[in-house]
Amino acid sequence: MIKRLSLASRLALLFAACTAVVSLIAGVLFNRASEAHFIELDQQQLDSKLIALRSTLQGVDSREALAQREAQLRAELSRQPDLTLRITAAGQRWLDDAPSIDLPAAPGLHSLQNADTDYRVYNAPLRADQPDSPQLTLMLDITHHQHFLQRMQHLIWLTIGLSALATALLGAWAARSGLRPLRRMGEVAASVSAHSLTQRLPQQHMPVELAELAQAFNAMLGRLDDAFQRLSAFSADIAHELRTPLSNLLTQTQVILTQPRPLEDYREALHSNLEELQWMAQLVNDMLYLAKADHGLLMPKREPLALADEVDALLEFFTLLAEDRQISLVREGTAHTTGDRGMLRRALSNLLDNALRFTPQSGQVRVRMEDGVRLSVENTGDGIPTELLPRLFDRFYRADPARHEGSSEHAGLGLAITQSIVRAHGGRIYCESGAGWTRFVIELPAGD
Amino acid sequence: MKLLIVEDQPKTGHYLRQGLAEAGFTTELVADGSSGQHLALTGDYDLLILDVMLPGRDGWQILQAVRSAGLDIPVLFLTARDAVEDRVHGLELGADDYLVKPFAFSELLARVRSLLRRGGSTPQETALQLADLRLDLIRRRVERDGQRIDLTAKEFSLLELLLRRQGEVLPKSLIASQVWDMNFDSDTNIIEVAIRRLRLKVDDNFPNKLIHTVRGMGYVLEERVN
Repeated sequence: MIKRLSLASRLALLFAACTAVVSLIAGVLFNRASEAHFIELDQQQLDSKLIALRSTLQGVDSREALAQREAQLRAELSRQPDLTLRITAAGQRWLDDAPSIDLPAAPGLHSLQNADTDYRVYNAPLRADQPDSPQLTLMLDITHHQHFLQRMQHLIWLTIGLSALATALLGAWAARSGLRPLRRMGEVAASVSAHSLTQRLPQQHMPVELAELAQAFNAMLGRLDDAFQRLSAFSADIAHELRTPLSNLLTQTQVILTQPRPLEDYREALHSNLEELQWMAQLVNDMLYLAKADHGLLMPKREPLALADEVDALLEFFTLLAEDRQISLVREGTAHTTGDRGMLRRALSNLLDNALRFTPQSGQVRVRMEDGVRLSVENTGDGIPTELLPRLFDRFYRADPARHEGSSEHAGLGLAITQSIVRAHGGRIYCESGAGWTRFVIELPAGD
Repeated sequence: MKLLIVEDQPKTGHYLRQGLAEAGFTTELVADGSSGQHLALTGDYDLLILDVMLPGRDGWQILQAVRSAGLDIPVLFLTARDAVEDRVHGLELGADDYLVKPFAFSELLARVRSLLRRGGSTPQETALQLADLRLDLIRRRVERDGQRIDLTAKEFSLLELLLRRQGEVLPKSLIASQVWDMNFDSDTNIIEVAIRRLRLKVDDNFPNKLIHTVRGMGYVLEERVN
């Protein structure tokens, strides 16, 4: 039930409860204090009365002696109509103005209630120095005090109720205006859609408590925006990559068919079509491979591999290409890991292919490895600007956009595929570059 | 050699049939699973080429029926789906090979020939020969027209492959896989370079060229009459 309440009403209720508790405590303390004060006042009054009575009854030690002083005593008593007196000696009542109720016998001050009347009862011996002298019992009617206290109590309850209500209302208003930044946040969140991922919360105007949340929210929007941009760029890229070969195919086939031609021309056209088609098939296969990787369906076998042997086999394969351009291929170090031979060969082959493509004539490609496992492929040649490094693994990204038209090479998916394979093996790949060198580093978990 | 193709895409089926027929195979084509299964069980075929998704009975079911009837015909699957489970499933049921669409026809042809060859007994050869080119497997020597030709180890393996499968167009991917054990679509021109070097040693000094490029498909070793 509490969970469903809005934050503002929850805060308002809490405010009200706090006020009620605070005013309740204050009220109880005040009530106690005034009661104690009244008792003190009564005590003083009774004390002074006792002194007057004692002096009036000086020397009285028998009923007869009292009777002689009765007129004097009455005069003294009549000064205070709310006070009544009882004098008891040895179990006999010498004088009794008090209402006929049982009174406490112990000396000292007592409170007593009878019907609608409240009394303060004070017992004291007639002679202060003789506790067994006749007993004076003074009864003070304090009904008006009690009435006052009762009124006070009512007033306190009323105050508690009213102030709780007032704080609830004020609290609701305060909470509502205090929570305004939160509502604004909600509005921004609600207005975010695929088309407006660029919207951000104004962080600097946020209260401290919300700034962190706003920051997290903005960061989330940033990541979403980035992923979304990549995704839509990816779709656009696919369409673009397919458009070139498709338009070649369409144009060429239509042109060839417009008039009769020598057989050789048809053959030539078909060959040209074949090249485009092979390129497209390659693209589709690569994309399917990446899609499989995205869905976590790349499941590498786990066989122990001596990476040096794999690299040597690959270098032997690539030697043919390297020798053509007087590029030297070097391997340094050894390493062992557990993984899928075919997949890792493919990953490394993409790196070597890439490295060879960007190495100038007479340059060098160096494969270094160490257990742990760290493997790097480094080539000489122009470095890659730092700001481009993170984008190298994006699909269809080409450092040199002018390259490729219908050739048999991968459509900028090679490094993305390599990254997918490395990740499927639980490793990571990154690229570093400096003046005159570029290095791709693969880090894999160590072999079992 | 008699082949059965079960493929429901008319265009694919037609061209497969034409291509295989022109490669010298007797082929039959059906477009639905039920008649495919019937023919597979009753006809006397040397190889089945099955599409996985078929009307009637799918490729897996046909394969199961064939294997439970005790027939040991090689079966090659064609599929547009490339999920690992599919591959495993097919191999568990007893499929012999598996090609994912889109594939190159030369690749299909090479696989078909491999499967058909598997059954037959290959006599232990000591030498391979075409025209005046001779490759001695035991002494690992190559001669042409009586002249010794020095080849590197890989060049020797490449020539051996071409000689063993002379007359067949070998796609680049098959060459990369058989000679260098690179079993993935390699996007490099390495095979081209390798063939060029082999030609330099084997063909360049002789008027009768034996290594030929089939554009867009691969390479073939054969004697062509000019």
